Amino acid sequence: MTSLTPAYPSRQWVYVRDLLRELVIRNVKIRYKGSILGIFWSLIFAVAQVRLFALLFRSGLGRDIPNFPAYVFVGILVWGWFSSSLNGCSNAITGNRELVGRPGFPVGVLPVVTIGTSLIDFLMAFPVLMAFIIFGGSQLTTGLLLLPLIMILQFLFMQGLGYLLATAQVLFRDTTHLLSVILRLGFFLTPIFYNPERMLPPHYQWIYNLNPMVHVIDAYRAILLYGQLPALLPVLYVVGLTALLLPLGYRTFRHARYRFLEEL
Amino acid sequence: MQDAIVVHELGKQFRRYDANRPRRLKELFIRGPHKLKPVEQFWALREIEFHLEPGRMIGVIGRNGSGKSTLLRLIGDVLKPDEGWVKTQGRIGALLNLGSHFHSDLTGRENVYVSGVIAGLTRREVAERFDSIVAFAELEEFIDGPLRTYSTGMRMRLAFAVAVHIEPDILLIDEVLAVGDLAFRQKCFERIQQFKEEGCTILLVTHDIGQVKDLCDEAIWLHQGKLMAHDDPNTVVTEYEMAMRAETRRRTPKAQAESSNNGKLVANKNRFGSQEVNIRNVRLLDGQGAPVTELNSGEPLCVEIEYDASIAIEAPIFSITIDHEEYKICCTTNTVASGLTLPTLQGSGQIRTYFERLDLNGGRYFINVGVYEQNWNYSYDFHWRAYPLTIQAGGSEKGVLHPPHRWELAGATVLRSSD
Repeated sequence: MTSLTPAYPSRQWVYVRDLLRELVIRNVKIRYKGSILGIFWSLIFAVAQVRLFALLFRSGLGRDIPNFPAYVFVGILVWGWFSSSLNGCSNAITGNRELVGRPGFPVGVLPVVTIGTSLIDFLMAFPVLMAFIIFGGSQLTTGLLLLPLIMILQFLFMQGLGYLLATAQVLFRDTTHLLSVILRLGFFLTPIFYNPERMLPPHYQWIYNLNPMVHVIDAYRAILLYGQLPALLPVLYVVGLTALLLPLGYRTFRHARYRFLEEL
Repeated sequence: MQDAIVVHELGKQFRRYDANRPRRLKELFIRGPHKLKPVEQFWALREIEFHLEPGRMIGVIGRNGSGKSTLLRLIGDVLKPDEGWVKTQGRIGALLNLGSHFHSDLTGRENVYVSGVIAGLTRREVAERFDSIVAFAELEEFIDGPLRTYSTGMRMRLAFAVAVHIEPDILLIDEVLAVGDLAFRQKCFERIQQFKEEGCTILLVTHDIGQVKDLCDEAIWLHQGKLMAHDDPNTVVTEYEMAMRAETRRRTPKAQAESSNNGKLVANKNRFGSQEVNIRNVRLLDGQGAPVTELNSGEPLCVEIEYDASIAIEAPIFSITIDHEEYKICCTTNTVASGLTLPTLQGSGQIRTYFERLDLNGGRYFINVGVYEQNWNYSYDFHWRAYPLTIQAGGSEKGVLHPPHRWELAGATVLRSSD
């Protein structure tokens, strides 16, 4: 279908921004209304998890990792954003039948809303993360300015994956279950509470490094804990993957939307 | 003038898949990728051709599954045609599934913003229209309370108020015009009228042929994905109704068992319907529950219908009409109009209607009873003029009403008393 007088582009831009904002705010409000600890709930959980790991692995896995609690906290937060985003994205089409069938609704925003909602949790934890970093003896440097870039990269990477997962969920309704198993496995195959260089035999290292989240978490740590620039090649690997996944994901996602509405 | 909507040789195919198609990855791994291809394809719509000038309103009627909603979705660009094309001019807005984005824990205000943005407005546009939305919904005092404290009627009013504050060039409406009480409905219809005056082109999908007649400038009738008629609303509605009646007659079995107690029922003469639900017996009862054929004016009447549904029937409608002998309909009532949605019925049972007073004038009347498909598409069983009822009333026998009444003389000088 062609629209002969397209809405002027700047309005569409403002509209999508407002739509994202309203839907994210709604999700956050719904999640925290009626819960006593409100928005701090997930934060408390993350901190408790860090304390537990620090306690368990102080003399084992974390023995020669400096500022081990901050190290674990970065891993848990980044992974938490990743896994809750993907879980939400896999239902982006099947869980929003009404929006998906609404004329004029830009469905492409649905995964972005999910990722954006989890991002709020991530951002809420930042002050606490900063405290962990500083009290643990690491220094905050100007490298911190790179942080938004790495977050944008992670966002786009998850968005690409999210489109694909939402599509898969339309075709096979157990995608979500499979995904939660994979994410649980991924938690251990990603350096969240250990240092892979010490744990893995060198000739398996390359397989381990295929996991893009390894490099994403490494990049966060380089910036936040070590005051360094992230290693360039691994980051380029993630950029390359994203450049592939995002257009591919978006195309299949749009197709899946039509397919979903045709199902009887 | 440039048309707002052009639909050219439009066709949409749906696919039916094997019931054993792997729906889960688990099954796909176990059984392999066969049966992924659709087993059957059928045309949900085909060879649809029409165009609509700006500012016109078109009604789309047809039975369930005739392709009405598919047409709306194709025009709204949420489905892709398999044949032909649709061209639209301008921004498309939609009134469908009102209130489906509302969340009970959020306040009315918060819900207005969310659903306004979903409906296609920017935040600033919602803010500008906010007071007008709340005023339209008549919810000024409640707008900052959580939605969970709203009644269903209040929610619907709010949902409708948000939905009509968009300014689309084309408006697609699916079955949502009947919300709220009579006064609010009137307001909704006025707003629709206003949309038209502003040059908005409207496509209305509905079962309510009354709305099509009252509101639309033209109408189309879809049947099994085909365009049966496109004309002015009265013509199309008449054709549609005639076809539905013919459908009822066609479904009436030729030689059906005469199971009614009085044995006077003859198929297609005074008994019509597909007999998927069978009215086995009808009894007219007086206030004490005793069968009657004669009542005094003002006495109560109970009509008892004994039905038998051979298969499970979803939400049938029961209807009763009281006819005067001289072919005047005095009174009609049905379960839907009385706000009663029946559950899925199977097997036999009884349903009763109580008339607390029957203030009819003296004369001969008939009670017609019927049971209909949930959208009035055809009748399952309809008994016409099979159950006579005589009403006795003092005084004149002209007219059909005999309400309780008295005469009072006031302000007159009485010269001589009558006795």
